[in-house]
This record gives sequence, C-alpha cells and structure tokens, in this order.
Amino acid sequence: MLKDLVAWLLSTHLSQTIQEVEWIVPALQTVHILFIAVVLSSVAMIILRVLGLIGRAWSISEMAARFLPWVWSALIVLVITGALLLTGEPKRSLLNPVFQAKMAMLAAMIGVTAAFHRSVRHHPARWNQAAKSPPSARLIGGLCLLIWVCIIVAGRWIAYVTVP
Amino acid sequence: MSILEICGWLDNSPLAVAIREWNGLFATIETFHVIALVQVAGSIFLIDLRLMGLASRKYPVAQMLREILPYTWVGFAVAAVSGSLMFVSHATQYYGNFSFRMKMLLLLTAGVNMLTFHLLTYRGVANWTLHPPRAAKIAGAVSVVLWIAIVTFGRWIGYTMLPF
Repeated sequence: MLKDLVAWLLSTHLSQTIQEVEWIVPALQTVHILFIAVVLSSVAMIILRVLGLIGRAWSISEMAARFLPWVWSALIVLVITGALLLTGEPKRSLLNPVFQAKMAMLAAMIGVTAAFHRSVRHHPARWNQAAKSPPSARLIGGLCLLIWVCIIVAGRWIAYVTVP
Repeated sequence: MSILEICGWLDNSPLAVAIREWNGLFATIETFHVIALVQVAGSIFLIDLRLMGLASRKYPVAQMLREILPYTWVGFAVAAVSGSLMFVSHATQYYGNFSFRMKMLLLLTAGVNMLTFHLLTYRGVANWTLHPPRAAKIAGAVSVVLWIAIVTFGRWIGYTMLPF
C-alpha cells in the first residue's frame, strides 16, 4: 500500500517540480531545521521548568501557556515542510525504516504534548501546587526530551539509511 | 605555512584519516553537530525574541539570560568541537567551499554582535530589564537574521561538497 502511495506521489506535478528545481529541497530542509530549533527550545523550556531547573519564578502552567503555542505553530510548519519533502522524495522517506521510526516517535510525542496541554489547562493545581514536580512527572519529562532528540537524530539518519 | 598547506596537513593527519575511514564516524559527529546547532539556534531565538520585545515580555531579561545562556554555551561548545572534527576530515575542500566560508564569516559577525551587546548595551540592564532599549532590539534582530543565515549556509555546505 505504501508503495502505491509512493508511485502516486512520484507521478504528481508537485513531486516533479520539487525534484527538478535544485534549490527547493535544501530550502525546505533549511526551514525545517529552523523550526526544529523552535520546537526543541520551546519543549525544552517547558520540560526544564517541570524538572525545576529554570524559570522557577513562574508556575508550570504559566510556562506551558507561554511556550505551547510556539510548539504547535512550529509543528504545523514542520508538517507542511515535511510533507513537501516527502512529496519530492517519497521513496526515500515513506519506505525508509528510519523515517517510519521518526514518525512513530513523533506521533507519540504529539500525543504526550496534547495530553500535557489538556492536563495543564484543566487541572493547573495538579501541576502548580507542589514546590517540586513529582518524580513521575520529572521522569516522563526527561524521557520526552530524550525522545525529541531521538526524533532529530532519526531525521538526520534518513539520509544515511538507503532504501532497498 | 599557508592556510592551504595547513589544510593539506590536516587532511593527511591520522585524525582526519580515521574520521573519513571509520564507518559511521563522520555521520555520528555530524549528528552531534545537528542536535547542538538546533539547540544553539533555538535558545538564541528565544533570547532574541525577548530582546525585541516580541515574546516572554514578563521574563526579566537579566534572569532569562542567566537561566538560558549556560545551555547555549554548552551547545555551542559541542557544535564547535563537532564542526572542527568535520572540518579536519576534509579541510582543503571545506576551506574552498563558498558556503563554508560564508558561514564562518557570519559566525564571526554574530560573535561581534553578541560581544557588543554584552559589553555595551547589557551593562545597563538593571535599568531596563523588562523593557529593552532600541540597541537591545537591534542586537536581537541582527542576531535572528545572522543565525538564520548561518543555518542556511550550513545546510548548503552539505549540498555543495563533493560526495564522500
């Protein structure tokens, strides 16, 4: 089924254009990289706050309110540039196990971020009451930061793993 | 010794040979570079947007710099070390690469911008820590433009080097 999608994408005019005009892929990748910087730093600010390492003058819900909009907006740009990159090189991405792993981790992180967003909005006291975040929150936060980094690593390694 | 001669000497060094020939070593070094660079760019954008008064307006500038800059510096160190290792492995080629030269020039310019800000404008931060003066806004704006250009030329290096 994926191979059918790849074949269809390759047949589109958009795909042809992206492949033929030399600067489009590197330009898309550059925008992609810049917005990865936005997501990573916004996510890091929130997680570092949950870990109690920065911004203790503000509550966790205040930090979340400040940085989550950036996470979501940047993710939208990343999905758009990612979709265009994928359209230009569908075989290199869709059939690549590293790309698939990246998508799986990304889906998980989007889910966690959405759950966190909902929790912080509807139950701020849960996050703001204690002087220190509970160990479980800190552990999950740390793990999430690690997974976000793994997503970036996977993104870079798409180029290094060839699709048979 | 001319710069080209130094590059040639570096190219032939055991370190350069190792990085070129050990399977996956260059890719691993590059991966550290990518993670470090998105972290540096992201944290710098955070600070620049604050200096321009566009985000985190309630976060006192002095406190923000104190909390975030340590992470920026660690990231920059990793980026510098990984970048140097990559440079050493193909010194002559990188030295002759236009995008590489532009990136180095822009890094230098960004350094001068940051130094100027820290030595002059930042001196009076106690007076304006919530409302940055125009000099701070300009420093922030210049920084954003420079770092976007640095990332862009950095990406273009990969596209303009001969395959290895």
